Amino acid sequence: MKINKCFKHAFNMVLHSKLRSWLTILGIVIGVAAVIAIVSMGEGMQQTMNAQLSGLGGDIVTISPGFSRGGGMFLMRGGAGGTSGGAQATDKEIVLGRSDLQALKGIPEIALIDTNIRGNVDVSYLGKKGKVSVTGVDQKVWSQITTLTIKTGRMLDSADQNVIVIGGRLASSYFDKPVGINKMITIEGSAFRVVGILDDQSTNIYMPIQMAYQVIDDKTNDVYDSLVVKIKNEDQLDEVIVKIDSKLMIARHVTLKNKDFSISSRKEMQQTRADTMSAINTFLLAIAAVSLIVGSVGIANTMFTSVLEKTKEIGIMKAIGARNNDILLIFLFNAAFIGLVGGIIGIILGTILSGLLPSLVGNLPIMRGTTIVSMNSIIMALSVSVSVGILAGIIPAYQASKLKPVDALRYE
Amino acid sequence: MDSHKTGIKENDVLICLEDVWKIYQMGEVEVPALKGVSVEIKKGDFVAIMGASGSGKSTMMNLIGCLDVPSKGRIFLKSQDISKLSESDLASLRGNTIGFIFQQYNLIQSMSALENVMLPLEFQEYKDSDAVKRAKEILDLVGLSDKLHHRPTQLSGGQQQRVSIARSLASDPEIILADEPTGALDSVTGKEVLNMLHKLWKEHGKTIIMVTHDLNLAKYAHTTVELKDGEILRIFENNKVN
Repeated sequence: MKINKCFKHAFNMVLHSKLRSWLTILGIVIGVAAVIAIVSMGEGMQQTMNAQLSGLGGDIVTISPGFSRGGGMFLMRGGAGGTSGGAQATDKEIVLGRSDLQALKGIPEIALIDTNIRGNVDVSYLGKKGKVSVTGVDQKVWSQITTLTIKTGRMLDSADQNVIVIGGRLASSYFDKPVGINKMITIEGSAFRVVGILDDQSTNIYMPIQMAYQVIDDKTNDVYDSLVVKIKNEDQLDEVIVKIDSKLMIARHVTLKNKDFSISSRKEMQQTRADTMSAINTFLLAIAAVSLIVGSVGIANTMFTSVLEKTKEIGIMKAIGARNNDILLIFLFNAAFIGLVGGIIGIILGTILSGLLPSLVGNLPIMRGTTIVSMNSIIMALSVSVSVGILAGIIPAYQASKLKPVDALRYE
Repeated sequence: MDSHKTGIKENDVLICLEDVWKIYQMGEVEVPALKGVSVEIKKGDFVAIMGASGSGKSTMMNLIGCLDVPSKGRIFLKSQDISKLSESDLASLRGNTIGFIFQQYNLIQSMSALENVMLPLEFQEYKDSDAVKRAKEILDLVGLSDKLHHRPTQLSGGQQQRVSIARSLASDPEIILADEPTGALDSVTGKEVLNMLHKLWKEHGKTIIMVTHDLNLAKYAHTTVELKDGEILRIFENNKVN
């Protein structure tokens, strides 16, 4: 029998056992959709990551007090940054101060230094109150160092006093009413004028560091939670980090053994994030793959049932001239067909799912950005689902082809 | 015997069974269904294989139809020893040489009459257009040209058996093997089917082998092989048949 005829008969078999075929197809659909959605999420994150890595911030180095000697080093960002990684148990609080700043100023490769403090503050706007994170920055250099971008208004300026730049979400939806440019927000009892709104989804407030010392509790002048450094030439990043390290160790009178500060670059942090991401992705993909395997067991099951059900027809076909190969191909095509249809529907469903994913997952910092369904993952999903179908169909199809015509004909 | 009149080629042996045994293993017991059967069937003959149930007639038909292989002995179909052929060669031989008609019609339920008749042609890799043309011609021959697209369930028993006859004729085989072809039909339709077989023998020169337990049906045949308990009781010719 010609191949196309085998395919036609296989197709008819699927058509004539609608419910069972569709249930089996559903098994594959779920597996493929899960794989597509997860891969799309992974690729989306990868792309965001690459954009960040290649974008601004490759020349930024952050120095924070405290040093973690454990395995992975995760620097805390935000309010509690001042005491992060405090593995160094001393009575005296570890801080960054003026002497550290001076030491950094002696490094010629450094272009700019921003001094930061962080804390949580009570805010209110038109009667609605809340608690958000405030970062005090050196307004003279902040706009040149930060990778944040302004949506409306402007960045902080060297002459600024009682003004702030706020995160996108704080402006749009944190309070009952949106906050616009030149509106006043009350922070710890003092009024601040909004001069800029960031193009992000944060609720952070940025203000001149001198003002921040006044509104954040327990902060001493000239003590910093972190120092952010912009180097002149991004290619020198690694050398400069080594240089900063040795200079600060001298300035702080510490050695490698009792080192009490950490240096991290955005590149390094993003690399760590990328590694974590890819580990999570692999894990999710493995789960999705399991559902695909379960789907293939479903195909095998359906095919075995189908062979039993069609034993008599196989006998008839053999009596009127079907060769073993003809029967084998018809059943294999049937299985492949179930895989193919499952794959196609799975891809469609997976694509829809991946479109919904960002809003389902919400605004996790881990998953900011989009999902991407690439041609590669579509081709991969299709070929996997078809091969899964064929693999699952091989044994039942072989059994069908080896049926003795006389036994098959007698089967009722 | 007037061989000219019946169209039987005296010296042209189409099927030859030589001391054929078929033994079935039922658990630990061996049950012989055929015990050393030897018979020659000539080209152009109309043979009835007759016997009560359990006499081995179905086993014999399966062996002649290359659906099964003997436990012992040899079977020659057109001078080829079928036990030496591969499964795929046997399938081709069946497809080319033998047309089957079954008691229960054995049509494929999901296919129309036309598709059922085309099926053997598809296995023989006929071109689509040729297969359709051929299938339509034969369905016309059995008087079903108005039922081409009916499914078996939409046809009466007699009509289904005619589709099955058409299917057996599709690839123009030399031999038609009919297993109790009227077993599921009433006497009137049964007679129609028998007349059709008779016509195929007389006018189309087919070799017909019919398995039956009914002596009245055997009267339609030219040669009758009577089986009892797996052995040939007697072979006789019915000279009145013409």
